[in-house]
Amino acid sequence: MSFALPIALTLSALALPIIALYILKVRLRRVPVSTNLFWKQIYEEKPPRSIWQHFRHLLSLLLQLLLLLLIVFAIADPYFSWQLLQARRIVIVVDNSASMRSFDILPTRLDAAKKAAQEVINGLRFRDEVAIVLAGNTPEVVVGMTGHAPTLREAIDGIPFSDNPTSLTTSIDLGRRLIGDHPHGQVLVMTDGCVDMINTAETKTMPSTGKAAVAKTESMPSVEYRLFASEAANVGIIQLQVRRSLIDPLGYEILAAVKNASASPVTCRLELTLNDIPVDVIPLKLKPEELWSRSIEKTSLEGGLLKAALTEIAPGSDESVAGAGSKQTATTTNQPEVDQLPTDNSAYALLPDRKTQRVLIVSAGNWFLQKVFESNALVEVSVQKEFPQVWPVDGIIVLHGNIPETLPPGNVFVIDPIGNCDQWDQGEILENPIVTDQDKASPLMTHIRLDNVLVPDARQLQFKTPPHSLAKTLSGEIVYADVKRPNGKCLALSVNLDSSDLAFRTAFPIMIANSLGWFSGTTGELQASVPTGSVTTLTVQKESIDASRTFLLSPSQKVLDITIPAPSESDSGDIPATIGPLNEVGLWKLTQSKVDSAQLKGDVKDSIAEVAVNLASTRETDLRPLKELRDSSQTKTLTAGWFSRPFWFYLVIAACILTSVEWFLYHRRFIS
Amino acid sequence: MLFPPDFLTRLEYLSIISKRVFRGQLLAQRRTMQMGSGIEFSDHREYTYGDDLRYLDWNVYARHGDLLLKRFQEEQDLHVYLMLDCSRSMAVGEPAKFDLARHLVAALAYIALADLDRIGIIAYANGIVAELPVTRGKARILPIMKFLEDLPTTGQDTNLAKAVQGLIHRGTRTGLAVVVSDLFDEHGFQRGLDQLRYRRFDAHVIQLHDPGEANPVLLGDAELVDIETESVRKVTVTERNLKMYKELFVNHQSAVRDYCHTYNLGCTQSPSVIRFDDLIMRMMRESGSGR
Repeated sequence: MSFALPIALTLSALALPIIALYILKVRLRRVPVSTNLFWKQIYEEKPPRSIWQHFRHLLSLLLQLLLLLLIVFAIADPYFSWQLLQARRIVIVVDNSASMRSFDILPTRLDAAKKAAQEVINGLRFRDEVAIVLAGNTPEVVVGMTGHAPTLREAIDGIPFSDNPTSLTTSIDLGRRLIGDHPHGQVLVMTDGCVDMINTAETKTMPSTGKAAVAKTESMPSVEYRLFASEAANVGIIQLQVRRSLIDPLGYEILAAVKNASASPVTCRLELTLNDIPVDVIPLKLKPEELWSRSIEKTSLEGGLLKAALTEIAPGSDESVAGAGSKQTATTTNQPEVDQLPTDNSAYALLPDRKTQRVLIVSAGNWFLQKVFESNALVEVSVQKEFPQVWPVDGIIVLHGNIPETLPPGNVFVIDPIGNCDQWDQGEILENPIVTDQDKASPLMTHIRLDNVLVPDARQLQFKTPPHSLAKTLSGEIVYADVKRPNGKCLALSVNLDSSDLAFRTAFPIMIANSLGWFSGTTGELQASVPTGSVTTLTVQKESIDASRTFLLSPSQKVLDITIPAPSESDSGDIPATIGPLNEVGLWKLTQSKVDSAQLKGDVKDSIAEVAVNLASTRETDLRPLKELRDSSQTKTLTAGWFSRPFWFYLVIAACILTSVEWFLYHRRFIS
Repeated sequence: MLFPPDFLTRLEYLSIISKRVFRGQLLAQRRTMQMGSGIEFSDHREYTYGDDLRYLDWNVYARHGDLLLKRFQEEQDLHVYLMLDCSRSMAVGEPAKFDLARHLVAALAYIALADLDRIGIIAYANGIVAELPVTRGKARILPIMKFLEDLPTTGQDTNLAKAVQGLIHRGTRTGLAVVVSDLFDEHGFQRGLDQLRYRRFDAHVIQLHDPGEANPVLLGDAELVDIETESVRKVTVTERNLKMYKELFVNHQSAVRDYCHTYNLGCTQSPSVIRFDDLIMRMMRESGSGR
């Protein structure tokens, strides 16, 4: 036996005053009475038992000394070597992924898992150590190895719900690393089994039927799974993205996918709203296990928050799914729940705004050129035949034909230039040039094919600075180029619009639309919605950022601090801000406030950047556990046995019992 | 002051009340069974030669021709012996039992004297420690009160039997013997009362006790000192012991009551916190209803 606090044994010296007090005679109080007649009868009725009479005072002393000894031992905290040898190291991996919000197991799967984890803590033995790991998007150690049960209980109680996907395998690996090479290590996984796969090394040794799914290799701690799931049905949105149309300046495309993760048909409605204004309502009749996916085209000048919501979810009949003309829903109250997880019933996406661009066309006159710009609803076109006195500082200047000696600053699109300028010299006329080389990677050439365009002639341009070629002829002459210059963007197209059929081709409006987008500087045709748990990078303008007052606002209006590196002088207009992990479904905002984060209230309006976060996980939507886990995992109590508490605890119990005995003996005057 | 100034007034009041209530049932008005020359008719007997013709019932002779002699109940002076326990145990209590006992003795003496009876007071402890000879007349009440006031509590061993024996050895006439005591007599109160009965004393017991004796507030370790014998007993008093004590005390009270009931003795038991005149009134009521 060893002691954790051997110095406490010196408290045994307290026995000396106890013995001294025992030796000292206590003077009794004198009570005069009328007669001893009755007292004599009382005490003569109990003749002294000689042996007891002799020992009862000594017994009192011995009891008191034993009491002191027990307390001193309890303070010294004794322990045995076998306790150290048999101590266990347990890592409780708690899956708090989105699917654990399901209420097929009341109140929720996570609550049931937490309750089971508490029971494990209750069953710990003395010297056992436990760590708690969260199997969220990224494994997180909530509490390191400790045997302090209150800390563990508090940590388990504090495990939050999340909308993250599961990272069970990495969490188990982390648990194993925490255990190390301890001989009595065990990883206890509290999960709903909503994972695509588990580690082969774990599953292959799991018995197909049995009480516990315990996998153990020679070098690794055993892994035991506790399953908190049923064959719950669910239907959810697993994909929602929106992007601007490539051909329609006002248009946008919605990509939505809905999964019926159940063995029975389901009817529901997919409601789409843009800034809370209804966009579309699509009735869905989903067969069992059906994945419904569709691209929906809509138009809107304004961007904003696009929300998709599943409503009126109800069990469907086979007829309603198969027959188009049959009844839409067959909802009855006695049918089972078909949607056990509300998290994936909503999804969000951000539609970028479209901004109006001003275009000044300086041309002797080309009807096609003017109309191709005017056809774009986002463009305000003005046409001049002569060069203006003052060039506009914003917008796009389209020079057709005549060009000034020095190109104006800003965004300039030069088409079929005549004469020399500061960027190039005009060469010979190219007859029947055939475009054979296009920069397909450039956004300016997206969806454009110029190789089959009939071009009778084009002007050869001899650039003073090597440009970025967008289209070359067979002979290597550049007919469409991105001219590099310091004072603005510049595109040069040397094709004669009047003689070629480019203006008749669909490539031409696409080319113009691409150029408008390129000039506007926005590549944001798609501001992708990200899945929960991910880390993403938002682009914010250098001028608008103040790192000390920038915060991240979650969908539930929680204010989170964020670290944004202060922009340096060399940074261009936009700087990246990395945020995450985004563990909640909804719209996250990068906000800037005039007050501190502590004073920041929920209603913050000045958002610098936004990102939509969706569950977007087929496996989290499918609430049915993995078959291997379902077949094998069952509860098994980590029983502590009788001797589960530290030895001092039993010493204190013994001391309490002894105190009671002593009190009883004294109260009953057996010892007096 | 043992006897306050209005004490005599209250005694007079008691005396008047006693005559109204008892009407010949107490003290001197209690008739003897001896036939004699009293004025109250008792019965007839046949005339024999030599009888006093003055007692012949002529009316009976006139009607029936039978010579019957009228008999009358003889009236005698009643001797009342007031036996006052003045052992140290009587000094216990607040007020002390002894004070109430002396008030009672004085009151009973006054009532008896007012009824033209003869009274004697015997103060006893382990024997007779003081004695007021038999006397009569209401005027004797002041010496009686002086006698009572001068009485101390004394003695180390209460012994009623020895006191009664002393009374008998004095050759006193039988009469009414009123014992005022707590009856904490280790020799047994029965012996003394037995002797009174054997000598044809009409005994009446007034047993006083202090409430603290009936319900002692005592727990834990203590040295119990008997104030009479000064014997010390080291005890640890528990709730159970207290309960047993109370049972024994009640049993002792019951034993006194049962004894008196068995032998048709008067018995009055009272705590010492009662006023003497209230207790006298209670005695009167009990005597009026019971005897």
